Amino acid sequence: MVNEPVKIVVVYQSLLGIYGDHGNGTVLTKRLVWRGIDAELVTVEPGRPVPDDGAVYLLGGGEDLAQIAAVRELKADGGLFRALDRGAVLFAVCAGYQICGRSFTVGDHDEVMEGLGLLDVTTRRGPRRAVGEILTRWERPDGSTSLITGFENHGGYTTLGPDARPFAQVELGVGNCGDGTEGAVQGRVIGSYPHGPNLPRNPALADHLLELALGTELGPLPNARISAELDELRRQRIAVARHSRNLAEDTRWLGERE
Amino acid sequence: MASSPSQRFRHARPVDPTIGRKLWRNTAIGIGNLTAWASRKAGRGSGASIRGQVITRLYPMMFAELIAGRRIAAVSGTNGKTTTTHLLAAAAETAWGTRDVVTNADGANLREGIASALSQNVRAPVAILETDEQIVPDMITRGRPEVLVMLNFSRDQLDRHHEIASLGKKWRAALTDAGENGPTVVANIHDPLVTWSAEAARRVIWVDMGIGGWTADAALCPSCGAILEYDGDGSWNCPGCALGQHRADYAVRGDEVTGPDGARWTLDLQVPGRFNRGNATCALAAAIEMGIDPTVALAAMGTVRAPAGRFSIGRFGDNRARLLLAKNPAGWAESLLVMASDPVVLAIDSAIADGTDVSWLWDVEFERLAGRHVICTGPRAQDLAVRLSYAEVDHEVVDSLREAMARPYEGTVDVLATYTAFLNLCKMGGVEW
Ligand SMILES: [Zn+2]
Repeated sequence: MVNEPVKIVVVYQSLLGIYGDHGNGTVLTKRLVWRGIDAELVTVEPGRPVPDDGAVYLLGGGEDLAQIAAVRELKADGGLFRALDRGAVLFAVCAGYQICGRSFTVGDHDEVMEGLGLLDVTTRRGPRRAVGEILTRWERPDGSTSLITGFENHGGYTTLGPDARPFAQVELGVGNCGDGTEGAVQGRVIGSYPHGPNLPRNPALADHLLELALGTELGPLPNARISAELDELRRQRIAVARHSRNLAEDTRWLGERE
Repeated sequence: MASSPSQRFRHARPVDPTIGRKLWRNTAIGIGNLTAWASRKAGRGSGASIRGQVITRLYPMMFAELIAGRRIAAVSGTNGKTTTTHLLAAAAETAWGTRDVVTNADGANLREGIASALSQNVRAPVAILETDEQIVPDMITRGRPEVLVMLNFSRDQLDRHHEIASLGKKWRAALTDAGENGPTVVANIHDPLVTWSAEAARRVIWVDMGIGGWTADAALCPSCGAILEYDGDGSWNCPGCALGQHRADYAVRGDEVTGPDGARWTLDLQVPGRFNRGNATCALAAAIEMGIDPTVALAAMGTVRAPAGRFSIGRFGDNRARLLLAKNPAGWAESLLVMASDPVVLAIDSAIADGTDVSWLWDVEFERLAGRHVICTGPRAQDLAVRLSYAEVDHEVVDSLREAMARPYEGTVDVLATYTAFLNLCKMGGVEW
């Protein structure tokens, strides 16, 4: 077991990965490898068994029909649930976050679908689609905080039940439902709206997921150039979110195609 | 072609409005032309888009009226429609003469853009029209095209276009409603959503574009929702219903095209890349369907060099640069295959026309550039730099496009850009169309 590579598992890339979400898997894997820890990126497609010996599992964004298919397949397969029982970490974004909840809605008639039940949250169609840069403040279990920069794009609004706590507080953007909270945490399951390459912009969160899964503290990345590059990207995105004269024009776009 | 235009087009006649309306329409077009001229003078592009807006504002039925009564070939799909339109238009112009053929060569493919193009030749009996995916149903209903080329559906700036499945549904519904009056559809067999939409057409010519699939956007059956099965060679099938890949009427491998009844042709194109050979095969099938001699069509397509600036050579001081455009991950994947220089320049913008969300950078296999040096430029160069670091591709960031193009390069440097950056590069590099 000790010599096995750490498995980072991207779940159903073709169904839930339409916003480049597997980038999160690339980031986690590379951040281990660069530190000299043997790691392997595993992409599982529907119809194939989800391995239950992974360290971190990732779910991404997808369309309505894909959400329904993913819930059906994941329940039938069972691998993800066994992995979580064994202590794995799940990081789910966007549509992947929604399906982790108790229920969510799909289609023009807002049909209610049962979710995976991993997070005590429910999602219903919101008054307007949330699209644009989002900036939140994430509080770690030890009380320290970091800014999370991302891009949200969701029509569903999520409310938290008593068993889940918010993942972050919204500084700019919509987040869960406009109530100032973003995402949800319950045990080792984290759900969050900013989709796709969210971890590239937020290396501290990436390392937190890895530390949670491995139960060890990771040192700083032994690659100063990449760290500097990431700092610059964060500086740019945070500045855009905070200093745009007109958020609606510069970073958010809510209309139909011209 | 042997037959004279007047004979050939006796059934194709643009609709004439009443004299009063005609005066009104001509005035609108006149004012539009004047505005376009002023805009050109002011150095703000070709003026086509402002003309389209003005004439449509002054005469709201412009699109509907100008589109009616012609022989139309419409070309749509997420990627390749500009090049395919240029290839088909070249064939039509060679066969029938430029006076009898009108096309929106500038790539303005919404109602205003199409109206603007048609207003410049209201008498032309034939129109070859690049058509935005959203306009296709309207085009089918009002324009009654003879041929509709359906290339592909893939994600294109999802922060605007929420679901491609609903677009496919609208195409299918319009084809169903058109029934016997609908177009012959030229359709890509590797795209399940195109296949499902096209099956509603009166007649379909199936094309194997030689690309296999960009399957990342086609996981589920558009008909029944089952998870599609893909083979290693890119062929697909639905385990849940009867939808599946069709046998191709036309297919391309390398430069060799095979057609119905064992016909064979060889492409000799100036536009590069396997995706353009697929586009040319669709254009050839459409040309033959419209009655153009394939030899004439092939020769004409071979003259197409830089459709709306794509693949053109720009001059930047002493540098020569080949300008490539890609608007979405599928386009980027194909364009990376074409890039030949070292270093290469990648220019990323996120203006509204590019999509403000650059998460798609993580869907592109930039790992393919390993071993080469990449110059990242444009407003989102830093996002690209981080992506390239994780792909372990050697790179540097040069924020300003102008500075990036002023670097000393040996030979012709390949530059791949998103839409806004591409337009800026064309302007800077003296590329006009
Ligand atoms: Zn099916």
